[in-house]
Amino acid sequence: MKLIDRYVNEVGKRLLVLQGREDIEKELRSTLEDMLEERAEKEGRPADEAMEIELLKEYGSPDAVATTYNPHPYLIGPRVFPLFLKILKIVLLSTAFGMTVVMIIKLVTQTPMMGSDFTEVLGDGLGNILSTVIAASGYVVLIFAIIERTVPDLGLKEEDFKTEDWDPAALAKEPDPDSVNRGELVAEIVFTFIGLAIINEIFYIPVFTDEFRKFVPWINAAFVTEILLDIYLLRKAVWDTGTRIVKIAMEAGTIVIAGIMLYTPNVITFSSKIFENVPEDSSVDIEVVTRFFDVGVSIAFIVVIVVASFELVKAAIGLIRSFTRK
Amino acid sequence: MANSESLDNVVLELRRGVIVLAVLSQLNGEQYGYSLLKLLSDQGLEVDQGTLYPLLRRLETQGLLESVWKLEEARPRRYYVISTDGKKLLPKLKKEWADIVSVMKKMLA
Repeated sequence: MKLIDRYVNEVGKRLLVLQGREDIEKELRSTLEDMLEERAEKEGRPADEAMEIELLKEYGSPDAVATTYNPHPYLIGPRVFPLFLKILKIVLLSTAFGMTVVMIIKLVTQTPMMGSDFTEVLGDGLGNILSTVIAASGYVVLIFAIIERTVPDLGLKEEDFKTEDWDPAALAKEPDPDSVNRGELVAEIVFTFIGLAIINEIFYIPVFTDEFRKFVPWINAAFVTEILLDIYLLRKAVWDTGTRIVKIAMEAGTIVIAGIMLYTPNVITFSSKIFENVPEDSSVDIEVVTRFFDVGVSIAFIVVIVVASFELVKAAIGLIRSFTRK
Repeated sequence: MANSESLDNVVLELRRGVIVLAVLSQLNGEQYGYSLLKLLSDQGLEVDQGTLYPLLRRLETQGLLESVWKLEEARPRRYYVISTDGKKLLPKLKKEWADIVSVMKKMLA
């Protein structure tokens, strides 16, 4: 029986299931023992090692056997693939667009229109765009691979993808005010992840000042809370009192952080580093450009505050309604 | 070569759905994996072990089968039997099958 035990062990090592590994091993062992016994009976002699070898050879390599049990032959399965494609497209377009804007700003402010500086910045910029796009794709793949494995089956339903074969029973049910929008959650996870990468300067965008970096731990805390909450919601599929309170607290925190940053001068700068190479006789008016970006940054913070307030009010209304329903 | 490969693929696809129906139909009484394999084989349906055992687990996860470990002849065996949900589903599947057969018979005549 030694060979069977080792064989079962080898299969077990290759099982990618989170639960039920021992169960599968136990079942496999009992099956193999049954088969061996039957073989011995048929041949009219007691089971020996040669018989075991023959049996195991017929049963197949441990790799092949484990593969039949492994539930995820896909990194990103057909269930989430349409959503993956959708979000990948958005992420690629928006990161490529963002990095292109950064490059153009640099080209306009930092270099004369031609010459070695110009080509250098252009080359760096294009290289940057490429590496950012590749890194962003990697993040999206990583997030979806995690969702594929952590969100239970039947979780992401077809209606999220608007395919033909949805369950008509869903129509008969009253729409549940507590149900979460999964597509929205996944998009939020992806973008928050990219946001994390940007503010921690993994994707390097040369606009952050030391003033900004003081806020990074707080922003990280808010972003990580957001991601964890979203993953939890993806698994649970419904809002409840606890998740709504966490959401409200997180949005309130976001509003406070964005509010303080709005009133902190020089959080983000387009002046110091970027403009140091502007030639004296450049037609670009640094004052105007800097002012323009300052206003832009303020508007960005205000947008963040407005969106967070909206989310907060939405969660609060949900919370109040859930109590009045009971 | 390509032809025999695509033949194999089509046959595999055809059998895949049928096996679920066959398994559910045979599990009114308790069977463990290997005994079910032989039961199917005795009736002329050869199913690969690599197909049947994972399928049994999947059907159990879907709630169509129930299983219980029993110690027999000094060997633990996992016995599967159709669940209440499975029993509800089976007649519908049988009807589907009958419809498919009658349509295809006409079509292929």
